[in-house]
Amino acid sequence: MTGDILLKFDNVAVGYDRHVVLSDLQLALPQGGFIGLLGANGSGKSTLIKTILGILPPLGGRLEFPSHQGRAPVLGYVPQRESLDSIFPLSSFEVVLMGVCGRVGPGLRIGAEEKNFARQCLHAAGAENLSRQPFAQLSGGQKQRVLIARALAAQPEFLLLDEPTAGIDAVASLAVMELLSRIHREQGLTILLVNHDLRVMQKYANHVLWLHEGRVLEGTAHELLNRDKIAEILGWQLH
Amino acid sequence: MFSPDFLLRNSVYVSLLIGAACPLVGVYLVLRRLVFMGVALPQISSCGIAFAFALHTWGAVPHLENGENTLAFAGSTVFTLTAILVLSFLERRGRGLVEGRIGTAYVLAGAWSVLLLVKNPFGEHGLLDRLKGEIIAVSNSDLAWTAGAFALVLICLLLFQKEFMLVSFDPEMAVTLKKNVVVWDALLFLLIGLTISMSVLSVGPLVTFGFLLIPPLIARLFAANMRQFALLAVGSGVASSLAGFYIALRWDLPVGAVDVALLGVVFAVMCAGKKIFSMSRPAPV
Repeated sequence: MTGDILLKFDNVAVGYDRHVVLSDLQLALPQGGFIGLLGANGSGKSTLIKTILGILPPLGGRLEFPSHQGRAPVLGYVPQRESLDSIFPLSSFEVVLMGVCGRVGPGLRIGAEEKNFARQCLHAAGAENLSRQPFAQLSGGQKQRVLIARALAAQPEFLLLDEPTAGIDAVASLAVMELLSRIHREQGLTILLVNHDLRVMQKYANHVLWLHEGRVLEGTAHELLNRDKIAEILGWQLH
Repeated sequence: MFSPDFLLRNSVYVSLLIGAACPLVGVYLVLRRLVFMGVALPQISSCGIAFAFALHTWGAVPHLENGENTLAFAGSTVFTLTAILVLSFLERRGRGLVEGRIGTAYVLAGAWSVLLLVKNPFGEHGLLDRLKGEIIAVSNSDLAWTAGAFALVLICLLLFQKEFMLVSFDPEMAVTLKKNVVVWDALLFLLIGLTISMSVLSVGPLVTFGFLLIPPLIARLFAANMRQFALLAVGSGVASSLAGFYIALRWDLPVGAVDVALLGVVFAVMCAGKKIFSMSRPAPV
């Protein structure tokens, strides 16, 4: 981490259809961090991530990107893979090519250089052998690799992933987390990752946001994910 | 059928154009799971034609020399575009019962088409035939207008293919890439609406829906990527319209009904062929 602040929440309220899910958020996400976003189902994790992405407008307050002189950084997004309809007969390569659309203007064809870059992203995600395969027919772990490649193809400065290991087996899950860890290490990319697994977060995240009973707890992984603090947050009795 | 002396040559061309254009926009209706909209829109388009002629009968619009087609086109386009924009906006908002709304629009459009036609003298002079899809007399100017409109649709679909695919497959990703999803959706639906309007004017709602739906379903059985999907859909649409026209001509049958029946046969054969092919392949280990 560089010590700079990538994203600052100034009294932000998030929600949808005028229904506030989280309010009075005062947060500062570090540039270059591997940030874990924890919380129970319905705690507002997806709402928060969609607000950062600009998919949902904040219901109050301001989101600022101080290290980018106010402009929003280029975002890479890996959605929950179930949200993508399997009726589309897209090859994995066609899915990854969507990532470069932000740089290719309307009416212009995607050039050879961008196509090569998309292939490199597939390679970086360990999915080059999936290029021609129909996306809909891939396993959960394979889809996740292709979606990570698509997000990388956008040349992001901030990568956000919504439960990338949900519903995939332990081996594939470990492979996805190792891939993200390598991308973070090699590219210095800021990563925000939604995940339910405390052990995964302890191992990979260096900064944690924990949504709990309408509040957001923020701190380093060391501060928030030690045994005593977890027990305190969850109200467990330790003997 | 392509001989310059053949009386119905323009009708053949119009059939082929519809066989190519409707499947191409139908691809998006199928992929976005808006098949019901594909049923309702041609019916709404027909209602627009009936309404335009009713306005003429009531004296609300002036008589135009050879203005029948202009009137029909205006009614069809206004009704179709309004309906598609309203229905797609409501669909994106995700509230209420989508199928219920579209079903209601379909049945109301059908009922009003009948009511508007039943007391209209134009109904006795070709309007009912037009709505039934009797592709008989197509003038050179009708052919030129249809070809021009479909060329415009084709150019836009090719130019903005990546934007249309992105907002259809993953609108949230499109937002993160700074694409205006509402604008791209609106443009796509305008193109779909224009294609349906032009097609209904020539072949009626039944045939239009047949070509919107069945060729993309045939293509989906075999396509491994979007290029194959679009090409197979267009190919099966064009081949069926050509073969359908020939069969109708040979045995003196209504062209539209033959086209749709033939598409149904092709779809059934392809489904069976795929099933047999997949059963004959060894199961993956």
